[in-house]
Amino acid sequence: MNIFQKIYNYRELLKTNVKKEIRGRYKNSILGILWSFLNPLLQLAVYSVIFGALLAGGDKTYHIYICVALIPWTYFTTAITQSAFTIIGNGDIIKKVYFPREILPISVVTSGAVNFLISTIIILAFVLGAGLGITKYILLYPFILLIQYILLLGISFIVSSVTVYFRDLEHIIGVILMAAFYATPIVYKLSDLPANLQVIMKLNPMTHLINAYRDIFYYHQMPDMKMLLILLGISLVLTVIGYFIFKKLQKGFAEEL
Amino acid sequence: MKENDNEIAIKVDHVYKSFNIYYDRANTLKERMLFFARNKRREKREVLKDINLEIKKGETVALIGVNGSGKSTLLKLMTQIIFPNKGTIETHGKLTSLLELGAGFHPDFSGRENIYFNSSIFGLTKKEIDARLDQIIEFSELKDFIDNPVRTYSSGMYMRLAFSVAINVDADILLIDEILSVGDQHFQEKCFNKMRELKKEGKTMVFVTHSMESVKNLCDRAVWLYDGKVRMDGNTDEVVKEYLRVTT
Repeated sequence: MNIFQKIYNYRELLKTNVKKEIRGRYKNSILGILWSFLNPLLQLAVYSVIFGALLAGGDKTYHIYICVALIPWTYFTTAITQSAFTIIGNGDIIKKVYFPREILPISVVTSGAVNFLISTIIILAFVLGAGLGITKYILLYPFILLIQYILLLGISFIVSSVTVYFRDLEHIIGVILMAAFYATPIVYKLSDLPANLQVIMKLNPMTHLINAYRDIFYYHQMPDMKMLLILLGISLVLTVIGYFIFKKLQKGFAEEL
Repeated sequence: MKENDNEIAIKVDHVYKSFNIYYDRANTLKERMLFFARNKRREKREVLKDINLEIKKGETVALIGVNGSGKSTLLKLMTQIIFPNKGTIETHGKLTSLLELGAGFHPDFSGRENIYFNSSIFGLTKKEIDARLDQIIEFSELKDFIDNPVRTYSSGMYMRLAFSVAINVDADILLIDEILSVGDQHFQEKCFNKMRELKKEGKTMVFVTHSMESVKNLCDRAVWLYDGKVRMDGNTDEVVKEYLRVTT
């Protein structure tokens, strides 16, 4: 049975898993789903104050500049961090019931995407509130999100399965993501960097995704389509490679957990 | 699907399975570097050695044997939770395993919600679950408790709900491990009747059990595993008789 058929047959499991992850995240907290908004907003407030004082140079819309990048970035980091834990966290079921294990990383990335869609309301609220408005370029939003989704899927397949055998990865990922935050133009402008550093930054796929989000929401201009298509290609290749790694490693899950 | 009496449901072909037993396992890089000798203290335990088995569609087979003879491992291999080191296992038809009841139950959600979660793990769609919901609730005899959180259930209620979900999945092949002792006398009787019913419908079933009574009651064929090998395979009465003669 091929993978698509398998996942289609188990679509209800995927759906309940995604629901559980969204609902379960803020379970027993008083503010509940509101944290989906409060978390990025508070984070945004901190970054705007600190980096605003350091880097903004009097730019009145600097907080929006950060906002349009920070929210997709949050999706990126949460999905990867959760992927590292998803197989281990579900060890109990893995040891007792058969189901396509691929469902687990897929539901992490998918529930993250749903959360990201909800958080996009924040971006829209800021953009509209500041009078920047919305232009036709917003139509590209689903396309950019799709690339990010596929990219994350590939990373998630690898991270979730490798962590089972190599538990350090969970902590290593934390450090890498922390460094990656500064290696991605979220709080600064890429053009402010020295030219040789810029070249290195451009190897980071998130740089291009963040730039694309910023183009459609903030600058209201056409994103670099050639770059996005290349990125789509790379993400697809990564997902295929990731899937094969996952498929190979998943045979030992029940014994390793 | 072809309606052929001789069609194979499960084919186990020259299967070997061994586990690595670690005495003290180094899981992280730090531990691995500091105590590199640790992982060397391990043993390879061969649990199954060259198992060959063909189970035809509609057969009801019992796997018997003393503790540690590899019965549960063989069942787990058939379920595809673990995979053989050598050899192949083929299964034909939708397969459900009841290795442990209530795996994947979420204690904070209600019985009704857990029916949805649990059935979806077995690969049912929402529509299929909707269609079975009443039947499952009725079989579990939970009545009004069905909307209470599962953590408030007694262990008997918990098992009843779990069994009701698993038995109503409508699989072609059922793999059942040591769970024939669900609930009280009345409920056990009900489970047996349900399984006889499934047998009549032509489902393939494989049991792991120590209860010779239920083996004789349900199964037409028994496979006796001893020390990772098939010691005897055949008619239930004969195998059970020989098994009891040797072990007691």
